[in-house]
Amino acid sequence: MLQFLIDTLLRATDLALIAFGLSLVYGLVKFPNIAHVQYAMLGAYLTYGLDAAGVPLPLALLFAALLVGALTLVLQRLVFQRLLKSGPAIAMIGSLAIAMLLVAALQGSAGTFPRMFELPLKAPILLGDARITHTQLYFFATTLILLAAFTVALFHTRLGRAMRALAGNPALANASGLHAARITLMVTFASGAIAGLGGGLLALSTGAHINLGHDLLLPVFAAAILGGLGNPMGAVAGALLIAFTETLVTNLNFGWLVGREMAFLPVSYISGAAFLILLLALLFKPYGLFDREVRRV
Amino acid sequence: MFDFLVSALTFASLYGLMALGLNLQAGYGGLLNFGHIAFAGLGAYATGIAVQAGYSPWLGMAVGVLLAMGLGGCVARLGRKLASDYWGIATLAIAEILRVVATNEGWLTGGAQGIGAIPTLFDGVGFLVMMLVLLGIATLLCQRLADGRFGRALRLMREEPQLAACMGYDLISLKSRAIMASAALTAIAGSLYAHFMSYVGPDYLLASETFLLWTMLMIGGLGNLRGVLLGVLLVQAAYSLVPFAKDYLGFDSDLAGALRLGLIGAILLACLMWRSEGLIPEKVRKIA
Amino acid sequence: MSASREYLLNVQSVAKAFGGNQVLRDVSFNVQRGEIVGLLGPNGSGKSTLLNCITGFEAVDGGAIALGARRIERLQAHRIVRHGIARTFQLPSMPTKMSVIEVAMAACTRQHGVFATLLGLPALRRAEEQARTKAERLIDELLLSPVRDLPASALSGGQKKLLGIVCALMGEPELVLLDEPTAGVHPNLRRDLVEALKRLNAQGMTLVIVEHDMHFIRDVCSRCVVLDRGEIVASCRPDKLASNARVIQAYLGGRHSPQALEENAP
Repeated sequence: MLQFLIDTLLRATDLALIAFGLSLVYGLVKFPNIAHVQYAMLGAYLTYGLDAAGVPLPLALLFAALLVGALTLVLQRLVFQRLLKSGPAIAMIGSLAIAMLLVAALQGSAGTFPRMFELPLKAPILLGDARITHTQLYFFATTLILLAAFTVALFHTRLGRAMRALAGNPALANASGLHAARITLMVTFASGAIAGLGGGLLALSTGAHINLGHDLLLPVFAAAILGGLGNPMGAVAGALLIAFTETLVTNLNFGWLVGREMAFLPVSYISGAAFLILLLALLFKPYGLFDREVRRV
Repeated sequence: MFDFLVSALTFASLYGLMALGLNLQAGYGGLLNFGHIAFAGLGAYATGIAVQAGYSPWLGMAVGVLLAMGLGGCVARLGRKLASDYWGIATLAIAEILRVVATNEGWLTGGAQGIGAIPTLFDGVGFLVMMLVLLGIATLLCQRLADGRFGRALRLMREEPQLAACMGYDLISLKSRAIMASAALTAIAGSLYAHFMSYVGPDYLLASETFLLWTMLMIGGLGNLRGVLLGVLLVQAAYSLVPFAKDYLGFDSDLAGALRLGLIGAILLACLMWRSEGLIPEKVRKIA
Repeated sequence: MSASREYLLNVQSVAKAFGGNQVLRDVSFNVQRGEIVGLLGPNGSGKSTLLNCITGFEAVDGGAIALGARRIERLQAHRIVRHGIARTFQLPSMPTKMSVIEVAMAACTRQHGVFATLLGLPALRRAEEQARTKAERLIDELLLSPVRDLPASALSGGQKKLLGIVCALMGEPELVLLDEPTAGVHPNLRRDLVEALKRLNAQGMTLVIVEHDMHFIRDVCSRCVVLDRGEIVASCRPDKLASNARVIQAYLGGRHSPQALEENAP
């Protein structure tokens, strides 16, 4: 039981930061950015690189995040702003091209072999029947702290309020003196940095590998859509739901259904669960479970 | 060298059929299907499963086409209220679900190993000739569709759905028919692909395959048949040149793969930024 | 409600609200076959919404709409069109990749299936010929011949409206609803438009026209219906409008008593 909870929470942390970043910026750019998950992958590789070069891990994570944020900013300014003039569909295909370029760049420079971090080997912590490794605990705790910090920033600072106003009603916000372009760029930077950070943290457990981005695409989008695009807290809730379902699906004993002692769904059906939830979300609740603003789906 | 050319051209014509299919949806219908490869996959797997079970491959192809059309009809109806880009993500999710099922249900699909020993119908040049003939026929049929009443209705719906509804067109029905026609063509291509490779596996259903088709369309020109075929040739050329460069300049295979992907991505981005209509844009049709 | 055969269009107690805003309250009016009815009202009175409700582009919250004997308020837009109602839009948007003649031909919606098109049977080819001839005739009548082969989006606002009318007429509807057909149209063209509409009416077409231009209304309409804040406040002949206190109140804002208005009437 406890292991179930731990597995769910850990899986949710895999997704939470990246989904948070996606939902955050969606309110301002209003198109599904397929490259977003590749920002996470970039963060993973950069963190690995910095760490391998001797930078202390927390700083490596930070610098990697900042670099990814900067790149996101550049891409938004040079590429997406222009493509958006032709409509969200073109921007989405453009994000596809950017995603391809990012994967190609990383594959070319780092190869397809996964890069594992050299972390001090410690025995996993035992909590009753359940086990959790130090790395996983570190990941979880860091994510929790970061999410709390971002939530505070979003709801209790002027910038956060300005950003939410802008997402809700750009014209009005602009007219009331908020500098829309500048805020958009700041939020873009933040969302990229958060994604990079999420990727870096994720890579601590899984290593930096070339499929990191693609594997995250549908689960992250599912989480963000379930929470309602533009509602970053909702994205975190969505991540929890996805994680819960994935863990449930592979832990449920279907033996009673097929008349055997034990019958489990194959592990690779985990991803199927996320896709199915995404599909159902898009079909029945395209505005998210919490049905808040930012309509355009 | 000759064999290599024949093989490359055969791949090009197989992808060409699939791209023509996608063009029906995306080019004329304005439908952003990012799970298009699912139709090809259904055709390929239906053929593989039929052959493995001892049935005629043509039965397999027919079943594949029917299944693809069924999926197409469903996909058209779902998300009536979904904006086009989100419908795209939904279709992507469907293709991925099919891929996961194909990977896991070994008893049906051979799992990750896939199904082998599918008869190749013709060898080398023979297969290419058949493909070229089919490609020619498909192009003519698509031309007819595009310039005729159905194409006109689709193209109007693509740009001005409100006006189309105003004229009495049932938009869901139009979309449905476009997708089903596209699915049928693509399923045939998928089936032939399985014959050519003598194998079908879950890798056929990778999302990157759909992205490849999209790249071919965007580079060449959405909604323009010559553009589509040009796009297919260009992308296939880029894909084929990389192994040469690899041997000549001594890359390793990771770098070669990266180069391929990067080249395609760069060309796609360049087209979107500077020629978003593609190299051969769709033109206003002349009516005598 | 008994659907009556005398009326071509019967609107009964239609209500429509958007969020908290009750745009249409209790709209009831009818149109007889062969009439040209003007639908007037100040901005914000709900004219476009009413048009959208009748043609199925918006769902009604309450009430009934009947075309002849058939109830249509729950039908989808494309079905309503097929039953014989056509409409135009106030600010029509036209495709960029289709010529004027192609857009008009698209309005022929028969036999547009995949198989029919693929087989290219002689019947279809003949139908295409007929469609082209018909489209050319209407394009000519509405003076769009010079721009026949231009992309439809390249037309001026007024020309796009005319193209919208062409498309509406291609289906040979019984009833046409026109949304501000003369706004933005050149005065010379306006005269020709009046003539064209009168001709169509003489051939049996019933028209409902949303308009602000009083001259146009007086030239064309046999009857006027006035909408104010979601309700019909008057139904009379055009020449009686100016002396109708309720109408004046609607346009001027209701702060004047009817007697005062009478004294000041032109």
